[in-house]
Amino acid sequence: MLTIILNLLEVAAWSGIAALGFGILFNMPKGVVPTVFILGFTAGFIKFALMHFNVHIVLATFIAVFFIGIICMPVAHKIHHPPVVFCIPPTIPMIPGYFAYETVLSVMNFIFMEANQAKRMELIDAIFANGFTMLFILISIAAGISLPMLLLRKNTVKKIED
Amino acid sequence: MDSSKELIKTVDLLLEISSLLMVSGANTNRVNLSIDRFASALHCNTSCFISHKTIVMTVYEDNSTLSCTRVKNIPPYAINFSIISAISKASWTAVEEDWNIDQIAKEIEAIKKQKRYPKLVVLIAVSLAGAGFCNIFSGDYINMGVAFASTFIGLLIFQLTHREGYNVYLRIFSASLIASVLASLGIVFKLGANPETALATSILFLVPGVALINSFTDFLDNNIINGLVRYTTGLMTVLAIALGLFIAMLLFQ
Repeated sequence: MLTIILNLLEVAAWSGIAALGFGILFNMPKGVVPTVFILGFTAGFIKFALMHFNVHIVLATFIAVFFIGIICMPVAHKIHHPPVVFCIPPTIPMIPGYFAYETVLSVMNFIFMEANQAKRMELIDAIFANGFTMLFILISIAAGISLPMLLLRKNTVKKIED
Repeated sequence: MDSSKELIKTVDLLLEISSLLMVSGANTNRVNLSIDRFASALHCNTSCFISHKTIVMTVYEDNSTLSCTRVKNIPPYAINFSIISAISKASWTAVEEDWNIDQIAKEIEAIKKQKRYPKLVVLIAVSLAGAGFCNIFSGDYINMGVAFASTFIGLLIFQLTHREGYNVYLRIFSASLIASVLASLGIVFKLGANPETALATSILFLVPGVALINSFTDFLDNNIINGLVRYTTGLMTVLAIALGLFIAMLLFQ
């Protein structure tokens, strides 16, 4: 039990560091550095904790990103930065890089390497399974981050007083 | 004569602000929002057409027949969240404290002069992010070292070719090719438990996350054309990355 929690915490910490790296690549303001790390950490923790309880990776990603989308409004109010600045970096570690890699690998083997008919069927299976998992994760990231912003837009962070 | 000059100055300033926001990676809705706030501080009305490479804007006043329309070309894109945040803050202070045009122009000049993070800090932070990715996809510490090194070299190539002024997709392709060739060496020499994860994560620093997320929010806001343009740019970037990875994998198969 303890090792599971420690593993989760380690993976979550690396998610936070990955979020920070991308924030710095996008030249985020220095004031949001702790926020980006904490959001990246929390999102990673939620995603991997859910996956540990056998929730599918697509749904787990959606819930983690949706959490960031929900929490960014009150946080924006508190730290006085627009939500985009600290919402996009924590979602980048969710990108399905490994599935993309597996898809490209299977496509390459299918076209250039494999002649055995049975193995080619397996490769088609791999292309579809990995490719569509990647696609659905991407869709859930995009939807998860933008839906809360649209739902909560009626009460924007600050209002113009005419 | 005076008031038409004033109008030209206003439209130039607002165009400058919106092009700065577009270049820094704000979505279309945020650009419109910021322009509206600055316009309300300057007591004028605006209508504008924002596209990926050009902005057309008309500024007019309620109680006169004067209006001014100008077109501005947008310079090459370079994502910069500090500028978005600073302009957003400036727009609120401008409305609250009723700034005049000179105050706003001075603030925008100050924002444009802000420094980016030093190149070395960016290199190390992004390489650490690459190592973090590798850990997320269950690589061990040796794989993470490989991912760190190949991300570092890949990003270095990306930055150096920027100085030479090459085409952006060519730069992405070469960065992806070199990073994945380096990570493939890890597979050849069987370093660590899952050398494939290092290869899969060494190219993730090139992923067009901002373009794709902005494209989706633009679609939801009904800015279909801008959304399509951003989506296509994102897709071109992904194709360039995939081509680099593909060639590296073909070389080492």
